[in-house]
Amino acid sequence: MTLQHLDVQPAMPRIRPMALRRYRRSPLAVAGRFAFVLPAVLLFVVFIAYPIVWVAGSSLYSKNADGVARFAGLAVYGSVLTDPTFWIVVRNMVLWGVITIPVQMLIGGLLAYFIERHTTTFRGFFRTMFFLPVVTSVSVISLVWVQIYAPYYGIAQEYLKHVGITLTYSPIGDPSTAIYALILVNIWQWTGFSMLMYIAGIANLPTEVLDAARVDGAKGWRLAVDVIVPMLAPSTKSLLLLGVIGTLQTFPIVHLMTGGGPNRASEVFGTYIFKQSFVLGDTGSGAALSVIVLLIALGLSLVQIVFLGTRMSPAKGGEA
Amino acid sequence: MSLLRSRERTRSVIIHLALFLVLGMWMVPQAYMLSIGLRTPAQAFDPVLFAWPITLDNFITVIRDNPLAPIFLNSLIVTISTVAIVVAVASLFAFACSVLHLRGSLVLYATLLTTLMVPLASLVLPLAILLKTFGWVNTYWGLIFPYAALGVPFAIVILKAFMDDSPRELFEAARVDGCSAWQTYWHVALPLVRPAFVFVAIWQFIVTWNEFFLALIVLTKAEMKTLTIVPMQYSGLYMANPGALFAVLTLIALPLILLYVLVQRAFVRGLLAGAVKG
Repeated sequence: MTLQHLDVQPAMPRIRPMALRRYRRSPLAVAGRFAFVLPAVLLFVVFIAYPIVWVAGSSLYSKNADGVARFAGLAVYGSVLTDPTFWIVVRNMVLWGVITIPVQMLIGGLLAYFIERHTTTFRGFFRTMFFLPVVTSVSVISLVWVQIYAPYYGIAQEYLKHVGITLTYSPIGDPSTAIYALILVNIWQWTGFSMLMYIAGIANLPTEVLDAARVDGAKGWRLAVDVIVPMLAPSTKSLLLLGVIGTLQTFPIVHLMTGGGPNRASEVFGTYIFKQSFVLGDTGSGAALSVIVLLIALGLSLVQIVFLGTRMSPAKGGEA
Repeated sequence: MSLLRSRERTRSVIIHLALFLVLGMWMVPQAYMLSIGLRTPAQAFDPVLFAWPITLDNFITVIRDNPLAPIFLNSLIVTISTVAIVVAVASLFAFACSVLHLRGSLVLYATLLTTLMVPLASLVLPLAILLKTFGWVNTYWGLIFPYAALGVPFAIVILKAFMDDSPRELFEAARVDGCSAWQTYWHVALPLVRPAFVFVAIWQFIVTWNEFFLALIVLTKAEMKTLTIVPMQYSGLYMANPGALFAVLTLIALPLILLYVLVQRAFVRGLLAGAVKG
């Protein structure tokens, strides 16, 4: 089911099939039926809802020098928002989303198009190989890319020389390039996911429509751009929604490759919250940051759902 | 006609060549990892993608020196438990919504879906404190339950969509034959949604196996650590010996890659079976 349907469905009078109604018999059976939903609700309440309420509450308290927490209202938010690092993080997150999401869609979409429509024997092979970075442990990937970017012995500076780009230092060691170098790794890792989402979309295009378009003279690129791209809108919208959430929870690549540095230049929400909460032990500002990230995520998701009618996925309205 | 055919064939060859070229570039990091792992100490720092001769010495060293098996086992326990809980809990919930039409279940469904919009980064701090209160730091449960809570909503979305599309008559027939709700769930609903079930299980397996942020915070004891958080240790340990470092990284990455290659057909089938209709 789709998120799009969400606001509609509960309001609609549900036609309850008589046959199924008859499951309801004894009070015991009624209680038994609630056992179906209980585990999911319990998990949600304890591990999602309660932590959110807690974090919202504790963002309103700040700790004194003596370690006693006292109510501070929105003061913590004030100090978080005036911290220059916060705005570096916001800039990095915008860059991250604005670069990663379209580039992944473009490359993933092109790969999906050529793999699905122009290969047969190798189709399974390509689908699998391009997806492998997604299933490769992100901590392994990060260390491999640190090696690739390394000065003197890394292969990036060695091979880029041949196309006229000279790297005298590691791109992740320079504050002006660090975030872009990390974004590249992220794009590389997750493009296979975009590809698979588009493959699901392309594989399920109704053949009649494609045939009709072909009869009307749409061929090659025209067919792709005018017919296929619009029909893949559900995949694109899901990728947009997932991309936004994915961007906001960026953590391992940055934590492992630069630690948010040099000089906080590549700090993202994940690493910033991690530092404030677990390194500095400043749970007040960690909590305030958590709430801010949550609000941004909910806000952006709602905007997309309202304006684009986004569904969570191409998989029948579902998907990761 | 034959001219057209040969043009088709030329185009197909070009597209295949292009795809293989792009794939070759895409595989550079993986190939580089393996290649450094296979080098002798003399070539370990050479800035080239492939070095000759190759040796298995690094692999032998790291397997001999490091207890990877218990770490692998930790990952396996956490992942399999999470997957089991997610598919069980999500399929029960989806069944209640889609087949039983349990009163209020759609409101609950909408509420649960908000989880999909919650970035983990905003949950780590409160979860860490919650788990501390429970005394679940450095336990398997400390990861399994949060992972399950985060994974269930997505699984519900997929499974519910499949159940919604299943033929109603089958559920009614089960009722006529005297099946209870539980029997209908087990004998009718689950077999019907098997492709979705498999898809959800595989995806949850991948996500859980590779999760890093929460694992980093919850698992601080060496003997509890999972495969995703040990590479950092090795990068310090083998700073001067990249051959050994990349051998161990290859070994850490390999299990999930192999597993994916084995199950990818079922995974993609589930994805395609559930894909959009317009």
